Amino acid sequence: MVLKTELCRFSGAKIYPGKGIRFVRADSQVFLFANSKCKRYFHNRLKPSKLTWTAMYRKQHKKDIHAETVKKRRRTTKKPYSRSIVGASLEVIQKKRTEKAEVRDAAREAALREIKERIKKTKDEKKAKKAEVMAKVQKTQGKGNVPKGGAPKGPKLGGGGGKR
Amino acid sequence: MIQTQTHLNVADNSGARELMCIRILGASNRRYAHIGDVIVAVIKEAVPNMPLQRSEVIRAVIVRTCKELKRDNGMIIRYDDNAAVVIDQEGNPKGTRVFGAIARELRQLNFTKIVSLAPEVL
Repeated sequence: MVLKTELCRFSGAKIYPGKGIRFVRADSQVFLFANSKCKRYFHNRLKPSKLTWTAMYRKQHKKDIHAETVKKRRRTTKKPYSRSIVGASLEVIQKKRTEKAEVRDAAREAALREIKERIKKTKDEKKAKKAEVMAKVQKTQGKGNVPKGGAPKGPKLGGGGGKR
Repeated sequence: MIQTQTHLNVADNSGARELMCIRILGASNRRYAHIGDVIVAVIKEAVPNMPLQRSEVIRAVIVRTCKELKRDNGMIIRYDDNAAVVIDQEGNPKGTRVFGAIARELRQLNFTKIVSLAPEVL
């Protein structure tokens, strides 16, 4: 069974049922004190932030902060795990994570090889085309159209703005 | 712990401002009154132009005490002041409003009207 505890307004201590004194001020604000020490100090108008044993002082002076930060760090490191991102669903990610490094390397190599092959293929094709073109050109040149390079350039020699 | 000669604040708009206890009802030779007890009191201070006048003798029920009130579940409640609500012979409040927090014990003692008028019941 979980007991419903309350906190002391002065010291910040836990108060179990049946303990503590409730004080109702004239403005009907309720204060709960753990013991007569807290009650007395409150009525003597002592400030809990100036007494070292109260929770308020410890919070102000960052006495328990070390443990808190450790807890927080742990939580943050644990968080970014297992959820689907844009295109990749959770299953795909899990599969990728579980497969071994060797398998991954092999896949990578295979992919690289494929790319290389593709590049080679395209190169070869280009070469072949070029060779074909060259062969054609040579054929046409062989037929007798020799001044193909010089003849069309003839009229341009005197040009530069003839008919405009 | 209200006894004769104790001065109390008035927690309603009946027109009285301050009371003085002159008798505790319920038993003979009763020494102290607590929350929910009916007392006979005299008005020591009154609001002008109201039906209740100074030095009038009335009945009142105690609603707040500085002395701690202990409940069966171990809860202890104490208030900032001693306060009472002016009532008539039947137990109905003379005022139409009740000010401040009020203890729940009044409900069991058939002062339901006062409890319903109160802004806060603790």
